[in-house]
Amino acid sequence: MVSNQISLNISDQSSLDVWRYIPVILSVILLCPIIGIIITATGDSDGLWWHLYETVIGKYIINTLLLMCGVSISVLLLGVGTAWLVSRYEFTGRRIFDWLLMLPAACPAYLIAYAYTDFFEYAGPLQNLLRYFFGWQSAQDYWFPEIRSLGGAVFVMSFVLYPYVYVLARTSFLKSPSSYYEVAKLYNKNSFFYVGLPIARPAIIAGLALVCMEVISDFGTVEFFTVETLTLGIFNVWLGMNNLVAASQIALVAFIFIISLLVIELKARSNRKFSDSSQRQTKIERIKLGKLSHLATFFFCSLPVFLGFILPVCLLFSHSLKTNYHQDWAQLLQVVINTITIAGLGTISIIVFSSLTAIIAFYRGNSFINKLSNLASTGYAFPGTMLAIGVLVFAGFVDNFYSIGLNTVIGYSSSGFLSGTILMLVFAYTVRFQAVGYGSLRSGITQIPQNLVDASYIMGKPFNETMRKIVLPLLKTSFIAGGLLAFVDIMKELPMTLLLRPFNFETLATYSYQFAHDELIEQASLPALLIILAGLVPVIFMNKFLREIKV
Amino acid sequence: MRLKKLIFLLPLITIFWSNNSFANEVNIYSHRQPFLINPFLEEFTKKTGIKTNVVYSTKGLAQRLKAEGENSPADVILTVDIGRLYIYEDYNLLQPIKSNVLDSNIPMHLKSPENKWFALSKRSRVIVASKTRVEENTIKRIEDLAKPEWKGRICSRPGSHVYNRALMASIIAAHGEEKAEKWAASFVNNLARRPQGNDRAQVKAIFEGQCDIAIINNYYFGKLKYSEDKQQQKWAEAVNLIFPNQEKNDRGAHMNISGGGVAIHSKNKDNAIMLLEFLSEEMSQNLYGKINFEYPVNPSIEPSEELAGWGIPIEDKIPIIKIAELGPLAQKIIDRVGW
Repeated sequence: MVSNQISLNISDQSSLDVWRYIPVILSVILLCPIIGIIITATGDSDGLWWHLYETVIGKYIINTLLLMCGVSISVLLLGVGTAWLVSRYEFTGRRIFDWLLMLPAACPAYLIAYAYTDFFEYAGPLQNLLRYFFGWQSAQDYWFPEIRSLGGAVFVMSFVLYPYVYVLARTSFLKSPSSYYEVAKLYNKNSFFYVGLPIARPAIIAGLALVCMEVISDFGTVEFFTVETLTLGIFNVWLGMNNLVAASQIALVAFIFIISLLVIELKARSNRKFSDSSQRQTKIERIKLGKLSHLATFFFCSLPVFLGFILPVCLLFSHSLKTNYHQDWAQLLQVVINTITIAGLGTISIIVFSSLTAIIAFYRGNSFINKLSNLASTGYAFPGTMLAIGVLVFAGFVDNFYSIGLNTVIGYSSSGFLSGTILMLVFAYTVRFQAVGYGSLRSGITQIPQNLVDASYIMGKPFNETMRKIVLPLLKTSFIAGGLLAFVDIMKELPMTLLLRPFNFETLATYSYQFAHDELIEQASLPALLIILAGLVPVIFMNKFLREIKV
Repeated sequence: MRLKKLIFLLPLITIFWSNNSFANEVNIYSHRQPFLINPFLEEFTKKTGIKTNVVYSTKGLAQRLKAEGENSPADVILTVDIGRLYIYEDYNLLQPIKSNVLDSNIPMHLKSPENKWFALSKRSRVIVASKTRVEENTIKRIEDLAKPEWKGRICSRPGSHVYNRALMASIIAAHGEEKAEKWAASFVNNLARRPQGNDRAQVKAIFEGQCDIAIINNYYFGKLKYSEDKQQQKWAEAVNLIFPNQEKNDRGAHMNISGGGVAIHSKNKDNAIMLLEFLSEEMSQNLYGKINFEYPVNPSIEPSEELAGWGIPIEDKIPIIKIAELGPLAQKIIDRVGW
């Protein structure tokens, strides 16, 4: 999500550049479901806006903004802070923290919300313990923060969402040219504020954008905590007042809002570019820490791992022991296989779509193509169910067109190939999580030295060879980071999977939800734990890969 | 040449991916969780040999059905809450069906006037009150909860939840918009804490002493009372269950339903009707009580022993469709009073 400035491009730029069609066509395909939402939003909203304006919309907007600000500030502190520490300093457990810090990404926020409510609320073990310890009798005797609140939502979301920022910022810090740090040292300037932060800015913003989109589209957590955000409002209007038109309109307003934020950020940084052809020639020297700062660093890195991963996993585990629900293990195994298969297919699709749009748009596209590709990666900003409805409208249209067409041409009758199939589900994931792959790649591209690419052109190498030999290898870490985040995102994705899946198809998220929906946290815990466990697989894979290429 | 090959390939691809339905199946879009409907479906398959396929989602299935149009594979829709069922009729996604079995098993006020949807089980919205802090017989009507004496003593889940919205609609139906809004405002004024949590959490809050009174669906009481978790049993023991509006000449307790209908483009219509009939017959009607503490809709079936143990409520017999029609207005009132 970075505006481009193509410097000199010595390749043969014929007036008709076939490459350019690829990102345009793919982007248009990705935008179709959003067009589906726009179509849904056109129509008469029965004067509902006036009612909303008079009653709840102000509350919705304020809560949404507060939630976004709160989560943004804490994920920046947690994500950038920990990424900087593990990439620039040497301390006990650094190598383990390196990947431990990614784990909370695998925890579905709404399930953590359930587990934490049980733990932190008045009747929960923590407050019981405090009461026992201090001899308090009732809620009037002491103050304890209410977990079912805006603050509680900020807390829960921050600790599961910071890995977006962490993963991307860390990749960027590690790839920053060490020569810059040496210069900063020479002039006695703070290397974080003068080098690290400016260089990693595109990556950090890409991560933050993902977090903001996730926050604005979240339903599960805010519903459970009754934080009246725009998304909660969308569902009240849609299901409560049976008014999908007005609901889609609210969704579009929220969407436009977040897009404007992104545009402002892009404008603000459009003239900065950092790259260095000497990268990786000098190894990053990690700074050794003094005793006190060593301890502080260790504590700071442990905190998000503990609150975002270890504690929730322990809580879920203890809940899962409490039930004697008859578990059909063969079925559960099938569910696990389904989940990993669909997440794998989705990740491949996202990588294909995002690399073809991000890379080609950057190196061959004009400003329009770049803007279009950026826009095509914003599906994330819609609540999952809304986007799913957009996908349904689109798939229904395609199937209808296809079955009528096929019938007239060869007289074969068919009900289509998209609706209710795995293909549609994979497409939906691609639309929703394109931002994850695309953001990771775009922030990676900005760190590729343009002179390498230019040199390849001067050698007379064509575009595809230049990409294959120069750009793709340099983007390896970005591919891995984006792929990892996409994989865990799909694994825990609930609303779209729930609505779009084929008959009799369960993933761990949907399987867990049928119990969670009925407030049966004990039964919901085991599949939730399995989501987290399965999330370990790509994390470990990524870690191993990064070790091998020695970044 | 290539194009021709492609055209012949297309049907093949379609067969591979297609959602075409096969004979002797019935395809279900369900708003009810698999673990709750599977016992019914297993019995159905055992009895008829018809295979059942399910997609479960809480939201958006009506939109899915609508978007799929004539190509939709869905045969049967199963929902909880009358509001959701009504949306299918509103979008014209259900077909009228003629079935003597359904006609005799399901009372008039619990089905659509055009025979497009049918209630299959009932649940009651009830009041629970602390055994120790609320004297028995002080609360008799849902209207009583607006009295100033309960200030700071009531817990509730958010008003916009379907069950509370339906309750609100029933109050509008009984008293008109203006009085209903007054009731809601006073009720909200009596709340001990910001509306939050689910029905179980309200009972827990009474057990913990955070409040004294709450409104819940009757089956949550049963689920807690017979829970495998000892702690949850204690929550249920801490409260009295009160069916509201039971006095002579009063309207009875508000009831909501779970129900179903046949999709308008169903390709297995006979199987679909057979499933709905099966769900209205004795075995299934008993199963609703056993699995989920719900009341049978079939008048010839007695509620389960556990249910009868807490008393059988006199029901608000208002045509259930009214509750759905008043839903949007109910939501507006809920927005206005901030429930």
